[in-house]
Amino acid sequence: MPATVAGLHATTSQEPADFAVPTGREEEWRFTPLRRLRGLHADAPLGSAGASVSVDAAPEIDCSERSRPAADSAFLPVDRVSARAFAAARHATVVTVPKETAASRATVVTVRGSGATSATAAHTIIDVQPYGRAVVVIDQRGSGTFADNVEISVADGGDLTVVAVADWDDDAVQVSHHLATLGRDARLKHIAVTLGGSLVRLSPTVRYAGPGGDAELYGLCFADAEQHLEHRLFVDHEMPNCRSRVRYKGALRGAGAHTVWIGDVLIRPQATGTDTYEYNRNLVLTDGAHADSVPNLEILTGEVIGAGHASANGRLDDEHLFYLQARGIPLDEARRLVIRGFFGELIARIGVPELEERIAAEIEAELS
Amino acid sequence: MSERWLRACALADVADGEALAVELAGLSEPVAIVRTKGEVFAIKDVCSHAEVPLSEGEIDGCTIECWLHGSRFDLRTGKPTGMPATEPVPVYPVKIEDDDVLVAVEES
Repeated sequence: MPATVAGLHATTSQEPADFAVPTGREEEWRFTPLRRLRGLHADAPLGSAGASVSVDAAPEIDCSERSRPAADSAFLPVDRVSARAFAAARHATVVTVPKETAASRATVVTVRGSGATSATAAHTIIDVQPYGRAVVVIDQRGSGTFADNVEISVADGGDLTVVAVADWDDDAVQVSHHLATLGRDARLKHIAVTLGGSLVRLSPTVRYAGPGGDAELYGLCFADAEQHLEHRLFVDHEMPNCRSRVRYKGALRGAGAHTVWIGDVLIRPQATGTDTYEYNRNLVLTDGAHADSVPNLEILTGEVIGAGHASANGRLDDEHLFYLQARGIPLDEARRLVIRGFFGELIARIGVPELEERIAAEIEAELS
Repeated sequence: MSERWLRACALADVADGEALAVELAGLSEPVAIVRTKGEVFAIKDVCSHAEVPLSEGEIDGCTIECWLHGSRFDLRTGKPTGMPATEPVPVYPVKIEDDDVLVAVEES
């Protein structure tokens, strides 16, 4: 049966039982090696002991711990793992950007996995009140098995940058959902940097609660041997005159390195004046690595400004390397230069200088 | 590197022309024990094209076919003999002792 983008994202519920245990044949799960999820998708118990969360907040930002995600929350999980994490999380870390307040520096939410054998559920809320402006970095390291939700709300006129860095140890498994809701004329820049972990599956979703919203979703990932790094994006244009841009780049190296990029965009009949474009590029650096890239665009109104997508997987361009070698640059160095350039334009969009340097250094380390 | 022989199943557990998925200690992925025309083979139970168990596929002589997309693999070598798979699937040495199927797993 041909699935539609709308159909694929139609089921939302806070009740895990509303989602069947995936078998791996479903469109949403067919790229994910379920065997390596350690039961996150089925019934593995979820606790809270496996990760410590600390927040280094800008002085203007309110940071608190809420006892658990409120049952009357508007947060609507989109699959079984998300619903299970929502049901199991005992606490929510809440970062609030007050009304008409601009944060003077980045707020860093540090997540450290302790390597616990049991799986951990977590919930984070980033709440930008009207005309608030902030940068929030989610810095994830350590080891363990994680299912978590990040609930992002940018109210009317707000402006938020979220940088989610997954820099897990080689044995970590994470299934994460970021669900953002944008108010009237709100702006969100969401940047996923996925480098470490045995299996990382991140699903950022953007919904618009008012016209004029603007979402930019960037991502860069580097998969080594046996790493599975998956990004599943969904932008749901249900309001008129909103804009979205998706731009993800990946590099893969080593046997069994696997990246998956799914870019779903739905333009509903009422979303006239929509302007959307998604873009994915993957650089396959060695044999035995495998990149899957699937952009899906469903357009239900003709009154759009633009709607497009582009996707390509390929190797390093021999002519680029030849050009550099012809100028006396050794092959190794030439390869590094081209890859540095490939990722450079995305790193430059982060806008947090310390983080830009760290990520550039980590990409360098991946190449050495 | 040395080999370790592990019991996978009883010979009687696998009918001729059928396959059985087994988990072996020391291997992260399951193995398909395949019996065809009087011979027994062991092949990693995951197609190299998509995440599909080969043990659910069809066996034809020395070939196993993935039921979902039709990739075919030679059971003796693991090499792909039909698209869409282009990468081989690991195979393991097999011997029969006292009606048990033993599979050799490499130890590092």
